[in-house]
Amino acid sequence: MARAASPRRRAAISVLAWIVALLIFFPILWTVLTSFKTEAEAVADPPSFVAFDWTLENYFVVQERSDYFRHFWNSVVISIGSTIIGLAIAVPAAWAMAFVPGKQTKNVLMWMLSTKMLPPVGVLVPIYLIFRDVGLLDTRVGLVIVLTLINLPIIVWMLYTYFREIPGDILEAARMDGANLRSEVLYVLLPMALPGIASTFLLNVILAWNEAFWTLNLTAANSAPLTAFIASYSSPEGLFYAKLSAASTMAIAPILILGWFSQKQLVRGLTFGAVK
Amino acid sequence: MGRITLDKVTKSFGEVQVIPPLDLTIEDGEFVVFVGPSGCGKSTLLRLIAGLEDVTSGEIRIDGRNATETPPARRGLAMVFQSYALYPHMSVRKNIAFPLRMAGLEKAEQDRRVVEAAKVLNLTDYLDRRPGQLSGGQRQRVAIGRAIVREPAAFLFDEPLSNLDAALRVGMRLEISELHERLKTTMIYVTHDQVEAMTMADKIVVLRAGNIEQVGSPLDLYHTPRNLFVAGFIGSPKMNLINGNAAKQHGASTIGVRPEHLRIVPEGGLWTGTVGVSEHLGSDTFLHVHDTGLADVITVRAEGEVGLRHGDTIHLTPREDKVHRFDEQGGRVA
Amino acid sequence: MATQHSRSAARLMISPAVILLLGWMLIPLALTLYFSFLRYNLLMPGTNPFVGLENYSYFLSDPAFTAAMVNTLLLVGGVLVITVVGGILLALLLDQDIWGQGVVRILVIAPFFVMPTVSALVWKNMFMNPVNGLFAHLAEFLGLSAFDFLSQAPLASIIGIVSWQWLPFATLILLTAMQSLDSEQLEAAEMDGAGPLSRFWFIMLPHLARAITVVVLIQTIFLLSVFAEILVTTNGGPGTASTNLTYLVYAESLLRFDVGTGSAGGVVAIILANIVAIFLMRMIGKNLDA
Repeated sequence: MARAASPRRRAAISVLAWIVALLIFFPILWTVLTSFKTEAEAVADPPSFVAFDWTLENYFVVQERSDYFRHFWNSVVISIGSTIIGLAIAVPAAWAMAFVPGKQTKNVLMWMLSTKMLPPVGVLVPIYLIFRDVGLLDTRVGLVIVLTLINLPIIVWMLYTYFREIPGDILEAARMDGANLRSEVLYVLLPMALPGIASTFLLNVILAWNEAFWTLNLTAANSAPLTAFIASYSSPEGLFYAKLSAASTMAIAPILILGWFSQKQLVRGLTFGAVK
Repeated sequence: MGRITLDKVTKSFGEVQVIPPLDLTIEDGEFVVFVGPSGCGKSTLLRLIAGLEDVTSGEIRIDGRNATETPPARRGLAMVFQSYALYPHMSVRKNIAFPLRMAGLEKAEQDRRVVEAAKVLNLTDYLDRRPGQLSGGQRQRVAIGRAIVREPAAFLFDEPLSNLDAALRVGMRLEISELHERLKTTMIYVTHDQVEAMTMADKIVVLRAGNIEQVGSPLDLYHTPRNLFVAGFIGSPKMNLINGNAAKQHGASTIGVRPEHLRIVPEGGLWTGTVGVSEHLGSDTFLHVHDTGLADVITVRAEGEVGLRHGDTIHLTPREDKVHRFDEQGGRVA
Repeated sequence: MATQHSRSAARLMISPAVILLLGWMLIPLALTLYFSFLRYNLLMPGTNPFVGLENYSYFLSDPAFTAAMVNTLLLVGGVLVITVVGGILLALLLDQDIWGQGVVRILVIAPFFVMPTVSALVWKNMFMNPVNGLFAHLAEFLGLSAFDFLSQAPLASIIGIVSWQWLPFATLILLTAMQSLDSEQLEAAEMDGAGPLSRFWFIMLPHLARAITVVVLIQTIFLLSVFAEILVTTNGGPGTASTNLTYLVYAESLLRFDVGTGSAGGVVAIILANIVAIFLMRMIGKNLDA
């Protein structure tokens, strides 16, 4: 961090930073604003920023015409479901690797990571055909399976880096203090690991919510989450900007809020601990 | 009670034997210090006693009972870690109460003992804080508090003062000694600092490469070091070790003279040299003497101030009754 | 305490994750490889004869493949340059002492959380549309004629959209790395007479080198698989002007139902990604030892 700058310099830099930040944020802001306009105002030339008749109509129309909440619910089930299952598989694995490291631990970790490097398109065809044959195409169960597996390496890694930071001394202290395995886990390990598990949960829900390769390729009308639902707006003609904006706003708002909470953990999670 | 016996205990990590067969008895109520350079196996030895490491062979007995296979939780020992290892998510009160809670004591009894320990350790005002909000010295006290409440058979300290600054270290050293006087419980204390060893111990165990070099009271080690290693390790400033002719004249391969046993004489001393840097402590002066033909530097401890400056010639004579003689293998010659 | 007992318990705890990932990796991979040697079209049911490398020679000699390779490289390279350079500049800006730093940070990071389909649609319709888009309004206001981004410069437009999504990621990571730089190092350099530019060049940039490498490698992995943005905006067109490798394989397999050729393309994509992955894994592996 730089030393306290002179007030004038600080003001100049602050203004510059705000301008840049608002420019980057503008597409999102504009989408949110447009969602409250009528379709005519949405395409008005010149466009108006706030001086228009604010309306919630678009939100009702989106829900009415395309059953927004069904897709929203699909997104919730798929992202949270895949994350919980992923955690259930990953917590024991990361735990064991962090606290009982063996000669192969590093290799196992690296290998898990390497599965994440596999481009999805490389396995698209077989997965599509298998899903078609066993009836998993366009089902939430199918998507939960796929998203659990593609995000499992990230979950294991994030948890591993968190668990590894819990000092071994403390576990030994607990043992010296007379804790048996159950108390050691319940009173010492779990409370210390919980923040790490929580941020892993958060980041993974975000990743699953926004996943747009498998969700687009493996779903149709039935189990489409918001990513695929929004994509269906790519063709209609005529006046639809306001409705598109309303649908978009609803699709990104929950995750934007979650994301802002988890920005600190984001770096660690997405770089596999290589940058902290 | 807290009598601990190690019987032919060894420890290997894979192929590497870090503790060769070792016998040691620690009497009830004794303050024993394991001291040695880093990597000498002193912490491993402590962890073997604690049960945090499995012994490879041999037997550990606590109060006559074989405890070799007993898990750490049931050995009745308490440990203070170098990093303090406090539970960061618990208040000071809960940290100290944790062993009592594990032992299934009643809530009221837990509270009573925690409050008592807090009073002894001056922690009463901090009971509801988290460890993260405490200073290093306070954390240390919490760690000690957590150890004393359960009234263990023995306390194990693993370099507990090495994370504190110099002034605090001296203070805590006294507090731990005071605690030992009051509790009269066996304490085993690991350190690499020979000053801590000398000032605190009833019995010092000097270790090198997993071997016990000498066991004895601080003054035993100071007056009659059994070999060159102990001679060089115990005492500050270090003993001057001299080879060659000067040693031969004393009938030894190496002789050792402590800085405080060298006298400065005006003329005609046994040895002559040039004064280098002098360190003035007020009460004493440490003179570093060069060009004696004995060793690179000879350290001399003189009381008060001496009127010698950098570059002056100095004449020295050792107190003959205080010259330690060692043979070619480094063993003491009686 | 690493006893024999805890070791076998550990193995038991790790195995579900390992077995699942092993299955997830090996089964589809083997099938992709197998399909890539067959003449296999979903529209022509019947036997799927073994044809050796025919699919590969067909896929690799298809002019669309060359175009897709070039587009993939341009897309990955373009986005990398924009996000890394932009990310460094932004991180430098955000590292300063500014009013409302927390809010500014949140605004800058926001695009990363926008799902790809939303960002593609918003950019396509509300900004790049030649009639009603904001850019068209702006051009008109400036007295210029409107530009049809997605048909005139489809790839560049997609690069722009994807860069907008990934700029926050690069910024966030570079900012984190920047803040881990010991300020005493910068002060020492200042005492040694280094001006702001030399401080950036000789102290800051070397310190960031590792983070930049991580950004480049991780983004490359994701950018090789850009799909939704293309599907929603241009469908790979006009022609193959904005088709990347991922989209081409998708088109072969699920639009033209040519499973054999699609699988051959998938194998090519895997090989390409592996080249990047090897470097990334090495870096992360090194970090594991530290």
